[in-house]
Amino acid sequence: MNVAIQQTRAEQALIDAFPAFRAGAPLAPWLDQQREAGYSAFTALGLPHRRIEEWRWTDLRRALQNAFLPLTEPATPAAGAIEALMANSPFTGLDAARLVFVDGRFDPQRSELPVAEGLTVLTLGDVPDAAPAWLKESFGKLYGPEQDPIRALNTAFLRDGAAIHVAAGISIAQPIEIVSIVSDPAAHLSGLRNVVVLEAGASLTFIETHLGADADHVAGMVTEVRIGDDASLQRVKVQDDGLSAAHLANLHVEIGARAKFREFTATVGSRLSRNQIFAKFRGEGAEANISGAYLLAGKQHCDTTLVVNHAVPECTSRELFKAVLDDEAHGIFQGKLIVEQYAQKTDGKQQSHGLLLSERAEFDAKPELEIFADDVACGHGATAGQLDENLLFYLMARGIPEAQAKSMLISAFVAEAFDAVEHDGIRERLTELAEGWLISRGEKRNG
Amino acid sequence: MLEIKNLHVKIEDREILRGIDLTIAPGEVHAIMGPNGSGKSTLSYVLAGKEDYEVTEGSITFRGEDLLAMEPNERAAAGVFLAFQYPIEIPGVAMMQLLKTAFNAQRKQRGEPELSAPDFLRLVRQKADELKISQEMLKRAVNVGFSGGEKKRAEILQMAVLQPYLCVLDETDSGLDIDALKIVADGVNALRSPERSMLVITHYQRLLDYIVPDKVHVLSAGRIVKSGDKDLALELERSGYAEYQAA
Repeated sequence: MNVAIQQTRAEQALIDAFPAFRAGAPLAPWLDQQREAGYSAFTALGLPHRRIEEWRWTDLRRALQNAFLPLTEPATPAAGAIEALMANSPFTGLDAARLVFVDGRFDPQRSELPVAEGLTVLTLGDVPDAAPAWLKESFGKLYGPEQDPIRALNTAFLRDGAAIHVAAGISIAQPIEIVSIVSDPAAHLSGLRNVVVLEAGASLTFIETHLGADADHVAGMVTEVRIGDDASLQRVKVQDDGLSAAHLANLHVEIGARAKFREFTATVGSRLSRNQIFAKFRGEGAEANISGAYLLAGKQHCDTTLVVNHAVPECTSRELFKAVLDDEAHGIFQGKLIVEQYAQKTDGKQQSHGLLLSERAEFDAKPELEIFADDVACGHGATAGQLDENLLFYLMARGIPEAQAKSMLISAFVAEAFDAVEHDGIRERLTELAEGWLISRGEKRNG
Repeated sequence: MLEIKNLHVKIEDREILRGIDLTIAPGEVHAIMGPNGSGKSTLSYVLAGKEDYEVTEGSITFRGEDLLAMEPNERAAAGVFLAFQYPIEIPGVAMMQLLKTAFNAQRKQRGEPELSAPDFLRLVRQKADELKISQEMLKRAVNVGFSGGEKKRAEILQMAVLQPYLCVLDETDSGLDIDALKIVADGVNALRSPERSMLVITHYQRLLDYIVPDKVHVLSAGRIVKSGDKDLALELERSGYAEYQAA
């Protein structure tokens, strides 16, 4: 686009705030250079709007009109506020190592760092200029669009994040949880940049938990994952930000030969969320299983936009998204499967389903297949509908009262998406999260 | 137990039942036979409380209470059980979970305490064994991937666990081979008791060789046109429904 774009107030405020932010948040020179590049990219791109096809349902220019700037001073939350948020986390009490970030800054006091042979955990705020090669080779270099506004925003306003490396052949049994807490009630921007690298034959489960105060907050998150040959990685993300917040997040993934990648995201929080996933197969015989569940009410809006790129032959990808939408909630799923010319024997299947609990709820799905190989098995399916009256009658005819029968059917609807999570303890907590959502929904109706 | 008086039922302005009178005493087994479209399934759905049916006249009294004023779950808790003709698949809800939730929900509505988990498990296992239902099947989602026979046995298992006062069996014999039919019939007969009544709806006499009724009624064009003892079923088997359809 050669036309000069008029910056919105929010965009201009961010651009103006950059020099002072950068001066107040020193980073290693190589990261600082990344920040400058991110700033240039964001200045050129701005916030995306509905006239850009991929953003037609999620117009950030319109949704984010108020200025949201990075905090210049660490927040001073009320006593106990952070503990209260953490106590509400679905993963409280789970046997996991924890890296806790509060308003985008690492909080060593609240963290329990993992210790294991072959495992390296760093925080970007403390990374020296002579950073390890695995980090420099992955940061900002993994698969995704050349120009992406979320990556640009996150990179420009980079302050901190986790960098995790698992050496070849090492299996880390204990999950690592990266907890991101928004404690400051003022309108502001914060984000984390997480980089996770598994060498050949390594395995890891990591969780991203997003918890937040009810602030007019914008989260700009990026996670970059490189999975070596024969390695196995599970990511689980729970987004339970405050209901006035906006959550923008990218996941960039590159998958080695015969490797396994499993991804699950549950969205219950924030008024607006956009989750982008860009996954690319780098070696033959690998598998990707990407799933998600939305549990939304009020005027919540959640958009998952993903691209899975089969660049090599004989890889398998499965996507399954389930959206439970009450009141005026809006769920969106845009999934693109690209099968490149030499990627024969690709097996790709994509499913997205919306369950509308109200007549004003909306689910939009846009599945796309771009296939350039001729020997492939690919397909997609999308549905949107209400609870099946016949199922409801069957359960009621067995003595189950209507509200309870509805909750059972909603739980059953989302549970299928949880199956992608192999870790029993994590899957059970996700089930409890869904049940908790249903109970609070019931209380709202009756109260 | 059950008293149906002058029952008229419409679905989308079409009158399906046109004045049914039927009284079933405790311990009795009644069979309703009739040609397709005579209103047999409508009667079973109206008893269970399905929404789409409009009762325009008449009454149904169940154990002294006005059944038509009750929600489907209240009817179940009061002791009405419908074994569906086409048991529906419920993905994501395991058979065991359905049994437990339904059992405890009924008890709660009746103001009774829940059964302890081990006691409940024992009850289900015993009933499942009798119906040749494996533990593995109890873990599977309700009716998903079940064969026709498995679906009907699963219905009878629910009936055996929930211990209703009135069992309504809607074409339970349809789609069953003779071995499956025997298992289902044995399951039903095991539930016969002086406190429990049954309404067996069927198109064919075959089922009634195994579940022997006290009374047989012929339903045609929304009315009971003839009643008799079990010999009426045999007579129908010989002569068919032609005579009643013409009526």
